[in-house]
Amino acid sequence: MNTQIRHLAAGLLVCYLVLFVQLNLLQVVKRDRIASNTNNTRAVLRDFDKPRGPIVTADGVTIAMSEPTDPTIDKTFKYQRKYPTGELFANVSGYYTYAFGATKIEKKYTDVLAGRTSEQQLRSIASIFSNQDSTGSVQLTMRADLQQVARDALGANEGSVVVLDPRTGAVLAMWSYPSYDPNLVAVHNNKQANDVIQFLNALPGKPTLANAYQERYMPGSTFKVITAGIALENGLIDFSSTWANETSYTPPQTTNPIGNYHGELCGGDLREVFRRSCNTVFARTAVAVGADKMVAGTAAWGVGEKIPFDLPGGAVSNFGTVAELKDAIPKLAIRGFGQDDDLMVPLHMAMVAATVANGGVMMQPYVVAATLDHDGKVLNQTTPQVWKTPISPTTAVKLTDLMIGVVQNGTAKCCLQLANGIQAAAKTGTAQLNAQGQPQRSHAWIIAFAPADQPQYAVAVMFKGVNADISASTGGRLAGPVAKTILDWALAHPLGERK
Amino acid sequence: MHPLSRRSTELGLVIMAATITAAAYTLASLGKKSTIPPIIVPFFVALLGLLLLAHLATRLLARGADSTLLPLAAMLHGIGYVMIARLNDRLAALQTTWTFVAIAAYIATLLVVQRAPDLARYKWTFFVLGAGLLLLPLVPGVGRSVGGARIWVNLGPVNFQPGEFAKILLALFFAGYLYERRELIAASTWHVGPLRLPEPRYFFPIVLAWGFAVIVMVGEKDLGTSLLFFTLFVVMLWVATERATFLVLGFVLFGGAAYMSFRMFHHVRDRVDIWLDPWSRYQGKGYQIVQGIFAIGDGGLGGTGLGQGRPDLVPAVQNDFIFAAIAEELGLFGATAVLISFVLIVGAGLRIAVRAERPFEKLLATGLTALLGVQAFIIIGGVIRVVPLTGIALPFVSYGGSSLVANYVLLALLMRVSDSTSRRIGELPDDPTINERFLAWKLRRQLRKQTKRTGATTAGPTDVSSDDTVLVTGHVRSVE
Repeated sequence: MNTQIRHLAAGLLVCYLVLFVQLNLLQVVKRDRIASNTNNTRAVLRDFDKPRGPIVTADGVTIAMSEPTDPTIDKTFKYQRKYPTGELFANVSGYYTYAFGATKIEKKYTDVLAGRTSEQQLRSIASIFSNQDSTGSVQLTMRADLQQVARDALGANEGSVVVLDPRTGAVLAMWSYPSYDPNLVAVHNNKQANDVIQFLNALPGKPTLANAYQERYMPGSTFKVITAGIALENGLIDFSSTWANETSYTPPQTTNPIGNYHGELCGGDLREVFRRSCNTVFARTAVAVGADKMVAGTAAWGVGEKIPFDLPGGAVSNFGTVAELKDAIPKLAIRGFGQDDDLMVPLHMAMVAATVANGGVMMQPYVVAATLDHDGKVLNQTTPQVWKTPISPTTAVKLTDLMIGVVQNGTAKCCLQLANGIQAAAKTGTAQLNAQGQPQRSHAWIIAFAPADQPQYAVAVMFKGVNADISASTGGRLAGPVAKTILDWALAHPLGERK
Repeated sequence: MHPLSRRSTELGLVIMAATITAAAYTLASLGKKSTIPPIIVPFFVALLGLLLLAHLATRLLARGADSTLLPLAAMLHGIGYVMIARLNDRLAALQTTWTFVAIAAYIATLLVVQRAPDLARYKWTFFVLGAGLLLLPLVPGVGRSVGGARIWVNLGPVNFQPGEFAKILLALFFAGYLYERRELIAASTWHVGPLRLPEPRYFFPIVLAWGFAVIVMVGEKDLGTSLLFFTLFVVMLWVATERATFLVLGFVLFGGAAYMSFRMFHHVRDRVDIWLDPWSRYQGKGYQIVQGIFAIGDGGLGGTGLGQGRPDLVPAVQNDFIFAAIAEELGLFGATAVLISFVLIVGAGLRIAVRAERPFEKLLATGLTALLGVQAFIIIGGVIRVVPLTGIALPFVSYGGSSLVANYVLLALLMRVSDSTSRRIGELPDDPTINERFLAWKLRRQLRKQTKRTGATTAGPTDVSSDDTVLVTGHVRSVE
């Protein structure tokens, strides 16, 4: 019988070896495949049972944080994500949900916030005995106070405000209305979260989409800064250039004339046509520059290219291709002053103002100043980077001159006289959306920077032309006061003097 | 190893198992609630006390027995308990009660069964009891279906799974029956065409037992238990007769029964389908096994750490799927430790079987060990998709009183066989057992009374059977 018992032992040993092999397959070999199975929610669940680091503004306001849940009320997860500023930063922080994933910074910086980057893992191993979590935090360039000022200034109007530091590209404020409260989406009840998301997506204003960088709009006359810049760079125009007064201009290949705003008679030297924003002149200029050079020139400003921004899902501005415009002079003409399929992202227009302010150098925009580990040690600091150099410093000086003219004696005269006599430089825009004969619909724009001689802030303000009131006004009268409020406040409250 | 140092080894190992369990209990609490459990000191004292009690009982009642079985069982029991406590406080409280009962059952078994060969005498009692228990869940009003399988019995306030106890009784029966008739069965004098089979009258009881297993599978829909019985029956027959024909024949019979049930019964086909492809059945019957695999995969090499995983996502994780919880929170290392524990138990059990001199004890030890080893394989293999999943408890680890108590009784029987062998082969003096000492004391008192009354010295005892007289008088001499 002993032989059989020994055989039995061997047989059972083989059985257990099979178990051991299969266990190795499941826990080591196929581990990643199992983890990435669509039905496997364990990785997400684990993150929800751990704290997650905060997102903090430049002025120290926490816009996203983890709070331990009360286990008697919420049995789903150990932590609840909170957004103390509500809708103010929803389009920057995004949301972090169990069932619907994450967006914006919550998505892009999820590894840092959850403490999953290899560097954080290494550091947490080093501090394994001090019982610290390895979560990281994200430090923004944005200021909560300035964001609030921008929000109040825009009020309940659909549109966007972007404030940049022209010298670095740092985004100081970026507000889009309408926004939403991410706290309502981040609830642990999946059905409730789903209902909120469905509701938000059904709203015409698309609150979950950040107008400021995820949408693009006809820029209207604000685009004349780019057209003027290209023409100046190509030596086609200068301060000495003059244009005859005219009410309309009919480009080749069409019989439809291009008119000035309100059918005004418009002409004169470069300073005059720029501050009065003569459409006819910039239509002629675009045609004079030609499709090749206009496309190349706008590309030098980054139009048609994805902006290297640290928030995901940004829109791409559009001017058009050479093939599209080469034999379509009328299109080239009207796109030269920001109409038709000339579409600009509001953030990009703020960057245009900032480029002029920064001597012709366009910086990469960014909202994340640094990522920090749990102890506040810097993991990664953003260094300002040049993206484009569309114009020479000389051209930048000339454009600044022109934009000062707009404030001193042009379309922004009414509304952009800053406090303490500080000089601003600006360009307004009123982008006509309706076809001829239809009710007036227009976006109201302004791009500006201040102080003009030593720029600290560049701003773009855009009101979406959703109603007759907005459409009846102009960029200068509507967007101008918003830009003034923001610039006045920002100049009076530099960061660091806040109590 | 000197047989007397076995108990010291056991003591050391038992303390180690208690310490590891208490440490794991603390870690699980830290992982889950970030606090040291407030009852850690009483917990450790009670745990150590219980295990020391079992150890002392072994020292007194089976001092020649194997030294590793009790610590291995304690280790598995401890890991299982920590897992249950980490999953559900209420179940942990119940499991605590069952732990006390199980240790008591272990000691009681050692007390009641003091001479292993005596058990052979009661083989028919075991058969009737075992078969009765096995069929009990089918009795209307008593049996109860839980999760599709009718394996529970409600007797007044007591609920239990009779199958867990029936398996031991049937192993006892097989051992008792086969050791007597193994040569007759092996002789195979009945010619049926080209086949040579054992005489039907010797073979019949075995077929009967096999029939019960089929009834369990069909009537109670308990695939795990019936698979266990099949295996037990085939293995013991093979070991007893030393003829591989029975192994082959047994598995052919089993294969046939399995195939028939696969064709005839929905629930069997479901199990096989889920085994082959659980992924496409995630929303339905494959949910449990897929969640189990997610849990196991999530564990990786080192596990998530005790109290830090999400084993609660796996349905019935404290019962059949407790291995998934261990693999998740303790990783490949912890799961392998559990596997190795079972391999060591199987090794120790079969070593006892090999060392045993009497065929009955050999067969009994083989059967009991095969029960443990095969049961653990069936359920672990089911959880990690090596074999189709059949619901059955993981011995010592899973939540559940019936399983825990039954397996400690099984353990005590193995210890008894082991101790018996030590005495038999002369490693230890074959001292009289406590029962025998008591009988001897009664006998001496009787003798003294008789001597006083009659004054004669030649009269023998009258009310004790002659068997016992020989045995007892022999011991009286060696003691005095």
